[in-house]
Amino acid sequence: MRALVIDDSRAMRRIVTGILAGFGYEVRDAEHGRAALDVLGEGWLPDLATIDWNMPVMDGLQFVSAVRANPAWRSMTMMMVTSESEHTQIVRALAAGAHEYVIKPFTADAIRDKLALLGLLPQEVSL
Amino acid sequence: MTTTDTGARRRASDVRPVITDLIDPATVEAIAAEAWVALIGEDEVLVPLPGELPVDIVSSWVDVVGPWTGSVVLTTARSTAEELSRALLRDTAPAVLDDEDVADAFGEIANVVGGNVKAALPGPSALSLPQVGNAPLVRNPADVCRLDLLWRGEPVAISVQGALPPLPGSTPTRENEVS
Amino acid sequence: MKILIADDSRVMRQIVIRTLRQAGYDDHDIVEAEDGADALAKVSSEQPDLVLSDWNMPNMTGIECLQALRASGSAVPFGFVTSEGSAEMRERAANAGALFLIAKPFTEDTFKEHLDGVIA
Repeated sequence: MRALVIDDSRAMRRIVTGILAGFGYEVRDAEHGRAALDVLGEGWLPDLATIDWNMPVMDGLQFVSAVRANPAWRSMTMMMVTSESEHTQIVRALAAGAHEYVIKPFTADAIRDKLALLGLLPQEVSL
Repeated sequence: MTTTDTGARRRASDVRPVITDLIDPATVEAIAAEAWVALIGEDEVLVPLPGELPVDIVSSWVDVVGPWTGSVVLTTARSTAEELSRALLRDTAPAVLDDEDVADAFGEIANVVGGNVKAALPGPSALSLPQVGNAPLVRNPADVCRLDLLWRGEPVAISVQGALPPLPGSTPTRENEVS
Repeated sequence: MKILIADDSRVMRQIVIRTLRQAGYDDHDIVEAEDGADALAKVSSEQPDLVLSDWNMPNMTGIECLQALRASGSAVPFGFVTSEGSAEMRERAANAGALFLIAKPFTEDTFKEHLDGVIA
């Protein structure tokens, strides 16, 4: 399975990439929504995108709306990654078409539980 | 969990609760009734009878984010929202209510109902500021607790609705699946 | 007495003022603040004898305002009037130094119950 990690923080991209690679994902990353759309535009369509909320150029909410506008990208599951201070806004991203969310800081187990629910764990993992 | 997960035996409700597992319509109705008496007036009752909402409607809602994530949404005719705002403001209501007054007052009713719904749900969870406009769409028809009421003969709908889409394969028939 | 009422909803500020009046506390100066940051500034500029604050507000929440007040050494009596009255929030309010938490919806009796002894 493929995942696209979208975050303007290099440290966060590394952390999330490390977690997803550990589950067996092939991972690419992008530093904002616009760069992520470019990756999708290349034809590299992931099963999962993890999406930061606040990013320059194109933020997470704008990215979700852009993805929902293209039926060819419907199969991609969008998981918002949000901080505690902005998490009451998360319903706006879900209403725009995101599928799940996690609140920072999170553990690899928390991500794994969400992916298991969504049927997006590449390897059979015993809980 | 210590058992090996086979995927087949899991149901959505095991791990991601839907609203009907957490609160019943009678509780939401009691919360709304109490809010109406305190905010709108002592003799103001909500009658549990469905009415037909007109075309020109407006919603106010607050979002709850926690073990259950979704919105508590009030929807009425625009004219009913104005009447509610006027009743709420009582003697301080201006002769002509502007949109901001209605947004403030109607939003505050959703805030009070939503805050009390949140308190009845498992926590910890957080409440957003009230919003007014077109209600968020229902993402998962199985994750909705909806009440249709009448206030002074006008329809008022209260919807406690989840923000997450259904999980893959969590169609209602799966509820009957035997592990 | 001077009472500062902090709520981002103008309607709710008016309801609080009205309920104070109905509860018999009608002979006091009222100052209004529209969020926590405004309340924090007005506690120092207006020197109120009591703060009645909403919890959820933009810019600065009520609990953040209370924490900032206590951190700056202010001991102004502070109570919440909020749409959320869960046990968890009551505990957070008490731990931060709030005198009481009145959950919306409230009546004049709720106000009397919490404010008798606080308002002279």
